Amino acid sequence: MNRYCIGIMLIVSILLLSPSQTLAGESLMMATTTSTDNTGLLDELAPLFEEDTGIELKWTAVGTGKALELGRNCDVDVLLVHAPAAEKLYVKKGYGVDRQEVMYNDFVIIGPASDPAGIKGMQVPDALRAVFENKAIFASRGDDSGTNKKERSLWDNAGLDVPEKKSWYLQTGQGMLSTLRIAAERDAYTLTDRGTYIKYAHSHQGNPPLSILVQGDKSLFNQYSVIAVSPENCPDVKYDLATSFIQWIVSPDVQKAIGEFRLLGQQLFTPNAQ
Amino acid sequence: MEYLWQGLFQALELLVSGDGQTFSAIWVTLRVSTMSITGTLLIGIPLGFVLGYQSFPGKKGLRLIVDTLLSFPTVVIGLLVYAMVSRQGPLGDFGLLFTVPGIAIGQIILGLPIIIALTASALEHIDERLRHTLLTLGADKRQVMLSTVWEARYPILAAAVTAYGRIVSEVGISMMVGGNIKWHTRTITTAIALETNKGQFGMGIALGLVLLAIAFAVNLLLHVLGQKTG
Amino acid sequence: MIPVPFLYLLQNVMVQYAGQTVLHIPSMHIPENIILGISGHNGSGKSTLLRLLAFLEHPTQGRVRFRQATENTSREFLRRRITLLAQSPYLLKRSVLGNVAYGLKIRKEKQVEEKVSEALDMVGLSPARFLRRKWHQLSGGERQRVALASRLVLRPDVLLLDEPTSNLDQESTFLTRQAVLQAHEHWGTNLIMVSHDLEWLAQVSQTTLSMHKGRIQESSYDI
Repeated sequence: MNRYCIGIMLIVSILLLSPSQTLAGESLMMATTTSTDNTGLLDELAPLFEEDTGIELKWTAVGTGKALELGRNCDVDVLLVHAPAAEKLYVKKGYGVDRQEVMYNDFVIIGPASDPAGIKGMQVPDALRAVFENKAIFASRGDDSGTNKKERSLWDNAGLDVPEKKSWYLQTGQGMLSTLRIAAERDAYTLTDRGTYIKYAHSHQGNPPLSILVQGDKSLFNQYSVIAVSPENCPDVKYDLATSFIQWIVSPDVQKAIGEFRLLGQQLFTPNAQ
Repeated sequence: MEYLWQGLFQALELLVSGDGQTFSAIWVTLRVSTMSITGTLLIGIPLGFVLGYQSFPGKKGLRLIVDTLLSFPTVVIGLLVYAMVSRQGPLGDFGLLFTVPGIAIGQIILGLPIIIALTASALEHIDERLRHTLLTLGADKRQVMLSTVWEARYPILAAAVTAYGRIVSEVGISMMVGGNIKWHTRTITTAIALETNKGQFGMGIALGLVLLAIAFAVNLLLHVLGQKTG
Repeated sequence: MIPVPFLYLLQNVMVQYAGQTVLHIPSMHIPENIILGISGHNGSGKSTLLRLLAFLEHPTQGRVRFRQATENTSREFLRRRITLLAQSPYLLKRSVLGNVAYGLKIRKEKQVEEKVSEALDMVGLSPARFLRRKWHQLSGGERQRVALASRLVLRPDVLLLDEPTSNLDQESTFLTRQAVLQAHEHWGTNLIMVSHDLEWLAQVSQTTLSMHKGRIQESSYDI
């Protein structure tokens, strides 16, 4: 019995006492959105950032609302999100500083091939009005994410109230892919970022049940920006490391790398830092 | 349905090829769950002992509260721990958010009701002749307590196995408090959540099987230990 | 009153459970070097008396004195010298060796395995066959004898036995008698035994008394 006990205690000690942080170098904590993380862009940029600056980029992928909250609570050092209206308010309130636009991709409205409301090729406001009048099923993220905020602004632009309590409006409260799956299940229209759609289509061998019906509209623009968490609001935040990151991501070489990033063979982002 | 088979093959492939991310997740899972179960047992067994063995006013009420906490949803525990360890929270200065010890705090809260309730039960059902037997053989108070816990070791071990199972399979706390940071706090369960969200069901199943393999190994170890201390 | 040294002295002892008087002994003197047999029906208070003498319980009223011990003497100290073998004894969830060695280990005694083997021999259980057996691998009679061995091995000043032969066959009964008498002869262990087997009691004891409804009835010596 003693031998086994000692063996187990040894294993437990090793597991408990091994250091959790790689002791070399500094680290920067970022909050970003799940859709950003899912594109794989950060997985490509992080090693480049560490090579160039010696700083390890760590990030947690949550909803936009949560990302902003993490910044407010001083739990992260820098944000990479895509909700310009919310971001500008955020900076105004003093939670974030040094906001810089970094890149954009776009949203698309997708739906079943049968297109019951006949929205294919329409401008966004007309398309949404058609959905509304036909009471066509529409799946929404309903989770205060960047995508969700964009969607709500589109209803607003079309002169309609967000169809909160309508029976044909499904608020999934989940991530983009889950929402797409639910939309496919219910033959619903939905708003999605192109990146998620590319992956979704790929997983269906290029023949998905939902296809792109509305795209290219200026209002479907999805602007990504980087914001440093305010050192005034959060004295312990790693402001200098955040600054290094911001300067790095808007630099010409990195901007070029962003433009060259391919998701399943397709370009996803257009760099637009000034 | 194909993703079930796909998952099985992928699981073997991940393990055999030594996939870096998978092994990182395995390592993190082992570290976190070991930390959590150790803390849970060190705190929970003495508390369970007090609850089961001693009499004191309010004992029944306390037992009721502990039993109710068995149903504490992990996401809610995650929220509470986040509130505590966030920079704005009371424990903010310890920098526990997005770390393995931070997750462990939450998982200890998860495991404690299990250990406390089941240890208390084990001690309540201990043979009433034990106490006098130990005393008459000359045991002092401390020896009586230790020997009593040892006599109850089988149900307590079962409680530990149950608590470990709950701890190693939870997602809510790891996600909220750990942040699913690759290489650092991505556990097998948070990795499964991520892959499933990305639509990679096969991968999700694969990682699930890896987790079961780990659980099997751990339980095998405990089983052998149980035999040897019979 | 009693100038000579005593083993036990009971004064105005009363034990009550839930309003019922279970034991009432106005005065009792037990001398040193004794083998005492106590008989009586169920409910006569015999087991309660033994538990008092083992210092496992406090009387509701009165005092139980052991030798020179005073009010300040800890009961743990006394229980290291006095041990009780209850009716249907409980075995610890360990091997036979673990059980018999328990008392020795907490007293930090040495040469544990030797002493355990000696005690097992005394109760007729061959160490070679029984040392490593687990608690659940014993028959009823074997369990009883292991429990007895756990107490004999301590060479106690007082060995209290509550129905020590009730579950035993003839041979085991004989071995038990032999073992306890050996303890008395070699180590001076005082024996106080309760049994409904009057014949066995008469064979083993020097002195006997009987109890009825919590009181001591007759005796063959002055109490």
